[in-house]
Amino acid sequence: MNVKVVSRILEANDRIAGENAGILRQKGIYSINLMGAPGAGKTSILERLIPALNGKRKTGVIEGDIAGTEDAERINSLGVPVVQINTGGACHLDANMIREVLPELPLDGIDILIIENVGNLVCPAEFDVGEDMKAMVLSVAEGHDKPLKYPLMFQKSSALIINKIDLLPHVGADLARIRKDALALNPRLKIFEVSSRTGEGFDSLTEWLSGLR
Amino acid sequence: MHEASIAQSIFEMTSRNCLEAGYSEIKSIRVRIGRGCGVQPDALMFAFEALKAETIASGAALEIEVVPLGGTCNGCMEPFETEEQYILSCPRCGSSSFKIEKGYEMDIVDMEVN
Repeated sequence: MNVKVVSRILEANDRIAGENAGILRQKGIYSINLMGAPGAGKTSILERLIPALNGKRKTGVIEGDIAGTEDAERINSLGVPVVQINTGGACHLDANMIREVLPELPLDGIDILIIENVGNLVCPAEFDVGEDMKAMVLSVAEGHDKPLKYPLMFQKSSALIINKIDLLPHVGADLARIRKDALALNPRLKIFEVSSRTGEGFDSLTEWLSGLR
Repeated sequence: MHEASIAQSIFEMTSRNCLEAGYSEIKSIRVRIGRGCGVQPDALMFAFEALKAETIASGAALEIEVVPLGGTCNGCMEPFETEEQYILSCPRCGSSSFKIEKGYEMDIVDMEVN
């Protein structure tokens, strides 16, 4: 007996993502799914951004990691609400994981919710969690070949934050090529160049983020 | 590694559909995966084989149809198809303006049940 199914494989995830989006929208929260490889500097960027946004927009953070609470502790020391998800081996956050922790955040006191995904340049791109926008971090130390090796994340992201530009003289990455290939994959991509070590480039990133509604 | 989550979703959705339709055994499942999705068919197959043991799908074969990336060029107006995971320019005329029409599918098509 043949049974037609004809549905998206990730339909269950996408349905929950839609519910998450509804909850966040109702609270007037703009949410960002922040992705990137391990060590690209996602948490370090938040350590610069959150104090800079302070006074303009109230932030909250969901930290996704396979194990440990180190990232959440770093964010917690900035004095903003944070909740840690440990995926226990899973390589990405999914919509259900986010839904389970939303009640733990003071949603009425948050304007921008940043969801820091598990460090991974592949899997998180496939799973919507209910975010308004996907953004990604690529550090120059990872090399300029990454856009064409991991195209999907560059295609799904609305913003690319190129981090560690202070290391450019040492790592030999071709910044122009990163920009060219990333824009070829995704002409609408908004690109920022920053160094979370020196603070360079954070003014324009902060200004852009604080304007998101 | 996201293939494991995707296999889990395929398994849950087909099992539910099978039982709801009044059947008790899944013989085969057909899925359609676009090449642009970044899903490795071998890894998906491996994850599905690991998941199905001692379930109503324990004897099920997973058939994966891989859909190449394709679309229509805005320059030469011709349809194109590529075996790559992404496309930066029209393979025929080199224009970087084009419309992608397929290659990002991730669908369950149908299944055979008993």
